[in-house]
Amino acid sequence: MRTNDVILQTVSKIVFFIIILFSIHLFFAGHYNPGGGFIGGLLTSGAIVLLLLAYDIKTVAKGFPINYITLIGIGLLFAVGTSAGALLFNVPFLTHAYDYFYLPLLGKTSLHTAVLFDTGVYLVVIGVTMTIIQTIGESE
Amino acid sequence: MAFQILLNFFLAFLWMFLQVSFTSTTFFVGYLIGLIVIYGMRRFFSTRFYMHRVYAVIYLTMLFFKELIMANIDVLKVVLQPKLAIKPGIFALETELESDWEITLLANLITLTPGTLVVDVSDDNKTLYIHAIDIADVQDSIESIKNTFEKAIMEVSR
Repeated sequence: MRTNDVILQTVSKIVFFIIILFSIHLFFAGHYNPGGGFIGGLLTSGAIVLLLLAYDIKTVAKGFPINYITLIGIGLLFAVGTSAGALLFNVPFLTHAYDYFYLPLLGKTSLHTAVLFDTGVYLVVIGVTMTIIQTIGESE
Repeated sequence: MAFQILLNFFLAFLWMFLQVSFTSTTFFVGYLIGLIVIYGMRRFFSTRFYMHRVYAVIYLTMLFFKELIMANIDVLKVVLQPKLAIKPGIFALETELESDWEITLLANLITLTPGTLVVDVSDDNKTLYIHAIDIADVQDSIESIKNTFEKAIMEVSR
């Protein structure tokens, strides 16, 4: 018997945004405060899992038409790309660089290539978590 | 639509609280991040992503200014003609728009543009009676109104 999940669905639709915003906050906080790509990615996939619990796999897959396996590849590419990019400047592999920039809106901001590496971690964590959960969920 | 804007505001405030920074810049950054997240979630809402509608409003405004300039040039041409070669008349325009404000907007836009003037609206809000400076090509003017204004208004309100 299928019960009416309308309350769960509505609430999780709203709570999704709060979790996602918090995960983005954690992702960007990573350099100076607790947080980073790993916890950010886990929290993002946690938000998607909440939607999976409220809806079903098909609805969520239609809502986010993302191939999570490709996402792992893109994330790894980010990590390898930023690491290998150091070689172009005649410094060892994985050397990162940063500088201060004046951005519109944000003011004086330090842009660090480690953020790109972290983005890779973020994407891989989302990809792996979602792949695991979806694969288990789909098998009968 | 209003719900999505409200949610976007709420997310911007949430971002301000998360950052512990209560400046307009943080609000704007939070608003942008919220916008991106809502865009990602757009398939879960019953209505369209509200930026489509914002874009449609901007498009309608630009269309209005363009038509306004064209209209005044057209009237200028008519006025400056040595011989009065115009044939005024009134024609009916069946409209698909339904709500009051849509019809009002369409009527005002028609009045302000190329040589046409809304004279009356039928009681059932289905037909607009339009006075045209030059009736020679009624079908053309109906088509052009339908294709530009009515479509743009429907894009906004749909």
